[in-house]
Amino acid sequence: MTRSPSIAASAAPRPKRVPLSPIERAERRLGYAMLAPAFILLAGVVVYPVGVLLVGSLQFNQLTQPWMGTPFVGLDNFARALTDPRFWEATGNTLLYILVTVPGAILVGLGLALLANQPFRVKWPVRLGLLLPWALPLVFAGLIFRWFFEYNQGVVNAVLIAVGIGPKAWLTDPTLAFTATCIAIVWKTSSFVALVLLAGLQTIPRELYEAAEIDGATAWQQFTAITLPMLRPAIVVAMIFRTITAIQTFDIPYAMTNGGPGQSTETLAMFIHKTTIDFLDIGYGSALAVLMFIVSAAMTAGYLRYTRRDPRMGE
Amino acid sequence: MPRLPRRAVVWAAAAIVALNGFVPAIWVLLTSLKSESELMRLPITVLPAAPTLGNYVRVFVDQPILLFLWNSVMVATLSTLLCIVVSALAAYALVRLRVPAPGVILAVLMGIAMFPLISLVVPLFQTMRGLGLLNTWPALVLPYAVLSMPVCTMVLVSFFQDIPADIENAAMIDGCSRIGALWHVVIPLTAPGVFTAAILAFVNAWDEFLLALTLSSRVTSRTLPVGITLYQGEFSFPWPIISAALIVAIVPISILIAVFQDRVVGGLTAGGMKG
Repeated sequence: MTRSPSIAASAAPRPKRVPLSPIERAERRLGYAMLAPAFILLAGVVVYPVGVLLVGSLQFNQLTQPWMGTPFVGLDNFARALTDPRFWEATGNTLLYILVTVPGAILVGLGLALLANQPFRVKWPVRLGLLLPWALPLVFAGLIFRWFFEYNQGVVNAVLIAVGIGPKAWLTDPTLAFTATCIAIVWKTSSFVALVLLAGLQTIPRELYEAAEIDGATAWQQFTAITLPMLRPAIVVAMIFRTITAIQTFDIPYAMTNGGPGQSTETLAMFIHKTTIDFLDIGYGSALAVLMFIVSAAMTAGYLRYTRRDPRMGE
Repeated sequence: MPRLPRRAVVWAAAAIVALNGFVPAIWVLLTSLKSESELMRLPITVLPAAPTLGNYVRVFVDQPILLFLWNSVMVATLSTLLCIVVSALAAYALVRLRVPAPGVILAVLMGIAMFPLISLVVPLFQTMRGLGLLNTWPALVLPYAVLSMPVCTMVLVSFFQDIPADIENAAMIDGCSRIGALWHVVIPLTAPGVFTAAILAFVNAWDEFLLALTLSSRVTSRTLPVGITLYQGEFSFPWPIISAALIVAIVPISILIAVFQDRVVGGLTAGGMKG
């Protein structure tokens, strides 16, 4: 936690405008050469494809109608998105997923972190209990929860029957399907939040709690007056990361409901994927991807801005 | 507070966290040991009435799961190696060599590499299709290396900064080149950091689903997440096979995580990048 990757602070101070010695110039050239592979890789995998994306979003390009060619159609694809009810439904679902699963993961993650921050003699069961869900592929979490929520053989309905509530149509009722996918997402993502918050908890000095105890503060008062304020930076970092990934929600609804019933659990990412890969409408899919990028860029900018200001960057 | 309840609280806390993490995997394990007829029976059973390994036999015989495993291992390993080499060179240049405005360059690298994958799916599909790379390892290795570049570069920069420049200078006086000093002095001294970065990159690649789904349509080129998710039953989802396949897929990565848990936790909290 003490490491800070801000380079500017550690670089040797060098006077401005003093010409570099030949050795220094050689070092700088070597530096550029060593940065080159990273930039070449980014150019090939990100920058060039983004160019393809931007051009594609302005073209009519349906692989199902190759005889139509790829004429430029201006902003038609974007106009189509704005009048497409399926686009708005997917956008609404994505926002709802963000609104439910980000706070959900933070709350559950905070709970797990507080529970895990006890003086255990044997640490590995607790730590593995947090690491396993983190390391599990999202799509596997989706498959596992789909199995939990199965109507007949699922363990959730078995428990509901046992307590006298009766089985629920978890994956075929729109509201329940959305609820079930949210539960799976919160379970899967809260472990990462818990790991980040646990690291934050462990930096809070014990003396603060000891002093509070002497002053007669209750456990709840200690939590609200010491733990929460000290944990705030870690919570914000976890929240921003969670939001950036929540915008791109795909794997878990794909595995559990494939967007159904109807389009009730279809996210923007799933809609883009279906438009491009299943319906082979490259032009429209590209425009949707551009819209999606604009939203996530705003979120990422917010994150970078926060970490710049916060000296605890990178923790 | 009396002593006994305090201990009970600690035990309960440990149990809740551990159970929350383990129960889903344990339930899948129990499911995988039940016969197909037992799985159809109601009410459902918790422990398998007659444990059987039949589902595992079917996973290996009826499905190309070893091929999925091989694809996953190779794609994750190759992308991890590429990511580490590229990130280590960049991190070293930013920390040690007189590159102007290293902070800005780092921010630009991060900003580009954090471009949302879903927006790249469409153009990467077109590009890889144009290059004839669909259904090949490079189609996944290259994007996965970029996917983990931010976290790897962050971790490596923070570790490289802790190596005193004097050690390298001594090595270079002894006739080592810069690259030689990086390879023979810095990397060995920062091995824990390099290792941490490598594990995070490996897990990222191992878990990725969206790109693998899009860029590998052929059954034989699928990775584990895609191969298992796209298993199709004739009428319903083939749960007995799926649960056994999930166990086969989860075990290797769980062992890796269990063995290197300290490193993973340290790396995650040093440059955590993943939901």
